[in-house]
Amino acid sequence: MKNKSLFFLFLFLSFKVVAQENLLSLLNEKNETEYASYIFKGTKIVNGQSVEITSKNELKFNIQHRFGPINSGFYNLYGLDYAQVRFSFDYGVNNWMAIGIGRSSVSKTLDGNLKIKLIRQSKGNKNFPLTVVVNSALYLNQYTVEDRRKSSFLFTDQLIYSHQILIARKVNRDFSVQILPTFIHYNLIDKSSRKNNDNVSIGIGCRYKLSNRVSVNAETFPQIYNSMNDNVMSFGFDIETGGHVFQLHLSNSPAMIEPIFITETISNFFNGNIYFGFNISRVFTIKN
Amino acid sequence: MKMARQIISIFLIIFCFKTNAQNFVGKEGIITFFSEAPIENIQAVNKKVGAVYNASTSELVFSVKLEDFIFPKKLMQEHFNENYLESDIYPKSTFIGNIVELKENGYAKVNGKLNIHGVTNSITAEGILNNNKSNVVIKAKFSVKLEDYNIDIPKIVIYNIAEVIDVDVEIQLDKYEE
Repeated sequence: MKNKSLFFLFLFLSFKVVAQENLLSLLNEKNETEYASYIFKGTKIVNGQSVEITSKNELKFNIQHRFGPINSGFYNLYGLDYAQVRFSFDYGVNNWMAIGIGRSSVSKTLDGNLKIKLIRQSKGNKNFPLTVVVNSALYLNQYTVEDRRKSSFLFTDQLIYSHQILIARKVNRDFSVQILPTFIHYNLIDKSSRKNNDNVSIGIGCRYKLSNRVSVNAETFPQIYNSMNDNVMSFGFDIETGGHVFQLHLSNSPAMIEPIFITETISNFFNGNIYFGFNISRVFTIKN
Repeated sequence: MKMARQIISIFLIIFCFKTNAQNFVGKEGIITFFSEAPIENIQAVNKKVGAVYNASTSELVFSVKLEDFIFPKKLMQEHFNENYLESDIYPKSTFIGNIVELKENGYAKVNGKLNIHGVTNSITAEGILNNNKSNVVIKAKFSVKLEDYNIDIPKIVIYNIAEVIDVDVEIQLDKYEE
């Protein structure tokens, strides 16, 4: 009996050896975890944040430009005479956290944000269908010198907060989709400003790759609570040119920061109140 | 009958051990590649290269996961995987070949099929193969022409990426045991 089992054991082993004729099979790793990467090309879909964060030890300098409304006629060269700008720096602290600072020209707003990657979409050993990132930002909407001299002025009146959960899925190599539940709080609002202290929106964004270097992106931020303004809607192209990503887009809001484009959009996309804009970013490696 | 079974068993035992002893396997080899172009030189390293060498048949195979290549800049790595090598479609690059010449001093010549980006080409490479009985050390250098593997470099970065890439391989293989 013992002999018989030995016989089968070695017979089995021999077959295994025969199967090894294909030497490559000796290298096959067991159950690896494969993470979905490059869900979006940039750290922003159009205006809204994407689940991508600036890579570790890299500093990214962004120049964002928004022109005037396209339907403002030839006299204004279809909006190109007018422009607002936002400069920003983003830095990857480590593989799961990035920080950023920025300033928008028209609203005279300074902002800072913190982005933390909580979990990554993966398959294989570890299986999870979504990539989840949290983004929190603080905005300082500077008052004029005159306003600040008033006795009723409080520094904290200028502050705005926004908190987002970014949930994305790379459906296939070309198509990615993301939802962005967003909460925006204004410390102080002007009674005439047609917005609330607390604002809730559930944003939706997606990208589709037209080629390896060009993708088309779209996003909208429907406000789901007591909204008095229009909802922002944006379309854009990401074009990759070697060292940097060039983003061109059309939106019904000229703003580049969440509180303003989500709660203060007053123009309707389908009436032609569309603003053309572009972003250019350049990445610098701070240390290897 | 019992006798016959014993003989077959012994034969199988010998067969098992004999075949096993011939394979050398390594999983922590290093492949470095260099691209020298007018504007910038790019170097990437992969430290998870796998290879198997069968000393009796002189067969030699390599397998490399493209996502394991580390670049000095993350953006280069993204372009390498997303635009040029399309590593989501072709995650691995393999070499399947034979040692056709092996001299006493370790000089070795290898012939085989290199698969990159879904395209297979026959190549010949020269290098050193030192068989130290318990392990085998392999070092080789060869070059890869991007055009041969359908790797398309857009004109705008023609001064950033070389058309021919130099590849450096270094790996230690240990005797494979079940």
